Amino acid sequence: MVSVLLLVFLLQLAIHLVNTFGAKAVNELVFTITISPEKEVTANSSKDADESATLRREVVRLNREMKAVSAQDDFAKWARIRREHDKAKDKYDKQSASLTSFRTTFDRLITAARWLGTQGLQFFCNAYFSKEAMFWLPQGWVPSHVEWVLGFPRAPQGAVSINIWSMACASVIAMVSEGARAGLTLREGRVREGANKGEKLKMEGGGVGGKKEL
Amino acid sequence: MADAEMEASLKPIIDQKSLKWIFVGGKGGVGKTTTSCSLAVQMAKARKSVLLISTDPAHNLSDAFGMKFGKDARPVTGVEGLAAMEIDPNGSINDLISAGGDDAQEAMQGLGGVGSMFQDMAFSIPGVDEAMSFAEVLKQVKGMEYEVVIFDTAPTGHTLRFLQFPTVLEKALDKLSQLSKQFGGMINNLVSARGGLPNGQSFDDVLKRMEELQSTIGDVNKQFKNADLTTFIPVMIPEFLSLYETERMIQELGNYEIDTHAIVVNQLLFPKKDNPCEQCNARRKMQKKYLEQIDDLYGEDFNVVKMPLLVNEVRGVESITKFSEMLIKPYEAPQ
Repeated sequence: MVSVLLLVFLLQLAIHLVNTFGAKAVNELVFTITISPEKEVTANSSKDADESATLRREVVRLNREMKAVSAQDDFAKWARIRREHDKAKDKYDKQSASLTSFRTTFDRLITAARWLGTQGLQFFCNAYFSKEAMFWLPQGWVPSHVEWVLGFPRAPQGAVSINIWSMACASVIAMVSEGARAGLTLREGRVREGANKGEKLKMEGGGVGGKKEL
Repeated sequence: MADAEMEASLKPIIDQKSLKWIFVGGKGGVGKTTTSCSLAVQMAKARKSVLLISTDPAHNLSDAFGMKFGKDARPVTGVEGLAAMEIDPNGSINDLISAGGDDAQEAMQGLGGVGSMFQDMAFSIPGVDEAMSFAEVLKQVKGMEYEVVIFDTAPTGHTLRFLQFPTVLEKALDKLSQLSKQFGGMINNLVSARGGLPNGQSFDDVLKRMEELQSTIGDVNKQFKNADLTTFIPVMIPEFLSLYETERMIQELGNYEIDTHAIVVNQLLFPKKDNPCEQCNARRKMQKKYLEQIDDLYGEDFNVVKMPLLVNEVRGVESITKFSEMLIKPYEAPQ
């Protein structure tokens, strides 16, 4: 059995990763991983996409043709093109709507699954292991009211509860990732995000080895 | 394809005995009222009883026939078997509410904010007021048993919405009745806590009436989509905007699955050959251009009826009767 300690840590890591990369990116990733290898679906959806593109080209062509004909001088011809155009446009709208709706359903499913796998699992673990000790503190290390806090809400006195442990994991993961990001930024010497992205960092002292005069 | 061309008169429509509803529509000022009155006069000759209804708030029937019509069907003097009535699609919903009298108002007040909210909600459904009055009229008409009912409709935009109502309202009512099934108990409690609805009505009665209305509308919808029972006659003049609107209308009617197979082209000029009037000749040339387009576009599938512009106004029963003959026998232009 996987140790609960490790499980909680991995869970927090997963939540953190999802939060940093964004739910949308995760959905995109899952979409490309799961849908693309299945040949049948790919063939189907790419066929749909092809058809959609053809229809769009058709609509554009008819639109251009319609504009080339003078409605006042050649109404019959113009009206016939317009009928065709309307029909093609209708078909295209329907087609693209069905494509989008498939994607929406997929996204909703993945979002639900992701939530169950991360937050849901976390809630479940918190409830299931709430009375268990993650590990015991050596007796007398901390005063008894601190022990009470560490065992919050239901773990026995003198132990660390799952809630406290997951909070600790989350904090450490957040700090480490912040540190890593800061390190990367420093190394590159450029601002990596925000409004002034790409600007040089304003660092005093210049070079790494340069001594600062005090 | 000369043999594919359809007859250039409304005779096929008059001979189509199964027809029960005929709509006449088009842009404002193209002669809808004159056409519908003429058609009604010709119809009255072929059928036992014909009803002409104007849904145009402008109400031109009274002017056209030179007599006063109201909300009830009244016989047209001088034309046997023809009755006419005028309804105001916007006014009659207010009538409906006020017909409920103080009781209805009180009931709404009794419900407090909820009541007025319901009222607002019901009226915010697009076209619901017109649809309600329409349904009301149809119910009336159904009971009266006319062989044919001819509608003189309001200008284009209105007409299309009018014909769309059955579908729209059916959807809306479906939602409403579903809602009331789910929350019916709750609303019932609310109402009875307030002392009940006036006149000892129960909430179920209201629901039942709503469902009745829905079934009426569903029935009407089915009839309108049946090409044997219903047809739409667009009226136009040979000018660009009218032609454009007509084309749009025919396409939309196709979307609603409402049959249309006859067009009336009105106000044609037939100046004599040696005519010195430059304006008339120029207009004739323009009209000819559009007529060619119309024949090209609709000639194969439609009865395209060409009506001349007369030198006098078409008003009064006699004048209309005379004009109406040209719907049946194509007009011969003087040389």
